[in-house]
Amino acid sequence: MGDPSGEPGSSMHGVTGREQTFAFSVASPMVPTDTTAKFDLPVDTEHKAKVFKLFSFANPHMRTFHLSWISFSTCFVSTFAAAPLVPIIRENLNLTKQDIGNAGVASVSGSIFSRLVMGAVCDLLGPRYGCAFLVMLSAPTVFSMSFVADAGGFITVRFMIGFCLATFVSCQYWMSTMFNSQIIGLVNGTAAGWGNMGGGITQLLMPVVYEIIRRCGATAFTAWRLAFFVPGWLHIIMGILVLTLGQDLPDGNRSTLEKKGEVAKDKFGKIMWYAVTNYRTWIFVLLYGYSMGVELSTDNVIAEYFFDRFHLKLHTAGIIAASFGMANFFARPAGGYASDLAATYFGMRGRLWALWIIQTAGGLFCVWLGRANTLVTAVVAMILFSMGAQAACGATFAIVPFVSRRALGIISGLTGAGGNFGSGLTQLIFFSTSKFSTEQGLTWMGVMIVACTLPVTLIHFPQWGSMFLPPSNDPVKGTEEHYYGSEWNEQEKQKNLHQGSLRFAENSKSEGGRRVRSAATPPENTPNNV
Amino acid sequence: MAIHKIFFASLLICLLFQISHGATKERLFSDLEKGALEVTATPSREGVLDAGIDKLSITWKLSSTATKEAEFTTIKVKLCYAPVSQVDRPWRKTENELFKDKSCPHKIITRPYDKSPQSFEYTLERDIPTGTYFVRAYAVDAKGHEVAFGQSTDEAKSTKLFSVQAISGRHKSLDIASVCFSVFSVLALLVFFVNEKRKAKIEQSK
Repeated sequence: MGDPSGEPGSSMHGVTGREQTFAFSVASPMVPTDTTAKFDLPVDTEHKAKVFKLFSFANPHMRTFHLSWISFSTCFVSTFAAAPLVPIIRENLNLTKQDIGNAGVASVSGSIFSRLVMGAVCDLLGPRYGCAFLVMLSAPTVFSMSFVADAGGFITVRFMIGFCLATFVSCQYWMSTMFNSQIIGLVNGTAAGWGNMGGGITQLLMPVVYEIIRRCGATAFTAWRLAFFVPGWLHIIMGILVLTLGQDLPDGNRSTLEKKGEVAKDKFGKIMWYAVTNYRTWIFVLLYGYSMGVELSTDNVIAEYFFDRFHLKLHTAGIIAASFGMANFFARPAGGYASDLAATYFGMRGRLWALWIIQTAGGLFCVWLGRANTLVTAVVAMILFSMGAQAACGATFAIVPFVSRRALGIISGLTGAGGNFGSGLTQLIFFSTSKFSTEQGLTWMGVMIVACTLPVTLIHFPQWGSMFLPPSNDPVKGTEEHYYGSEWNEQEKQKNLHQGSLRFAENSKSEGGRRVRSAATPPENTPNNV
Repeated sequence: MAIHKIFFASLLICLLFQISHGATKERLFSDLEKGALEVTATPSREGVLDAGIDKLSITWKLSSTATKEAEFTTIKVKLCYAPVSQVDRPWRKTENELFKDKSCPHKIITRPYDKSPQSFEYTLERDIPTGTYFVRAYAVDAKGHEVAFGQSTDEAKSTKLFSVQAISGRHKSLDIASVCFSVFSVLALLVFFVNEKRKAKIEQSK
């Protein structure tokens, strides 16, 4: 992690990973290589990797990456495992549309709280144990699907399984201990995107497993229960792999307590205050609820939708639904990349426009999906919708690191929670009642996406401007130093506690756009070694 | 650019196929001849029937009011949901367009049309959900299109209905396996944790 001292929110530093531009590696003059260390990859003085070598499983850095994103993906698989099997489950348990909708809401609600707690757990036990604990202790919740006999049981079990989505936090935290902050952007973005893919993999996996079990002779109402053993075993396997193959830090499993006391701890209350009183935080909470949130909601309803509306077989509906989640493989990183591209020309204003365009396009494609009457148009609309929503997730976290330097951790956590909250809300309003058919629900969800993306226009940075307003001309208030420095009061500034923010302010000047970048290019600024 | 043009063209062709294909599926339930067959469905016992165990005694014969008898080739007998089992469950909705209608998803038996009265002893399948049902027999012509029907209940679907209780799908062996794997998961975690803490203590004391 970036700050082993454990200041509040430090566990989230590097989570968004957009503090610098995307890069596959960090050049040596910028970050000195430790040549005495014997690792497969070049490392810095903290022994964090400076290079991201995707197809390597070398211990410890790349191995951590793969263990981490696969465990996160496994949790997505089990959280959404019920969704493609709902056509069978609803007949076994005699569910109504409300019950199905409520179960969907429950599946995303648990992790709102567990994600907030997970940061503290990682601080206490380290990310390896944080991940292993969560994954192995939630395995019983997955297995308990075999006991479910009615709607209440179904909703409860889906709620409990949903807690394991907090592996997002352990995944990102663990990666920040292993990768240098200059490349943590690409690493974390890839891990988050590939983890979210689990929501697509499960739509493919569960119907196939169900079909195999049925062909072995089980009745429908037993086969779906048995099918849940597969995600359950995945939890156990991944937990054991993480415990045996993983390690907390590049140098081993030493306790991080040894390193505490080097940096003064920040006060949780103050950080919380700065996070909560910055209006941009709440706009991003809302926005992420309508990019990540609608992605989660769609994971829950799309397979059943295709099964019912277009009279498809269960595994055909699963294949189509899977392509929604699988688009995360490239769509989320692409969104971050698009944001970076816009920033090189137009700075932060470009990033805001990119976010608005991508997320609104996603919303419009969602409307089209709801109104599509033939299978082909529905599939096309769904794929375009998925790319819009997932790219918007990537583009959101391309801006969040600039909202605040001091309260980055908490703002990232709140934004993430907003995603789950938006998902629960959307499922409650549109997919849990008989007032809307599912296709009407999708249409209205698309309208709501477009409406809830409009607040991007209100995000204004005095030093960089907003979508419609230019940056402030004020020589004091229009600077990056003033914006990030304003999070510290005079006493703290006298003690020089704000140095980190000032350094960040200096590095963030590239967000002013082309005119700023061409004016002065300090050698230590942007690592462009892609 | 060529790839884009090919992709767009194939998409357009697929769309056109879909549109034209959809235009022919407009056969309506309201066009079918009502009451062409007299159907009865008698449960094997009183009360709620158990799926997989209890039986229905089904009979059907040509009604005296039938006019399209010459077209009848096959009789398809199906189990249909009563209105009370369709509430809040849009996947069981009754639609007038025959290909869209989802109120009779469970097939009982299909037999070639015979002038004499027919009967069949149907054991409720193990995948029949809990609900209230009646039986409907469709008379199908040589092209596979429905032309007439008869059902065991009245037109309002309110009389002579019967209730079925589904199997739970749970098994003791499944429950036991579930508990075993859950316990294994928690134990494995604790064993690893305690073990590593012990090793760390030993190393520190060295």
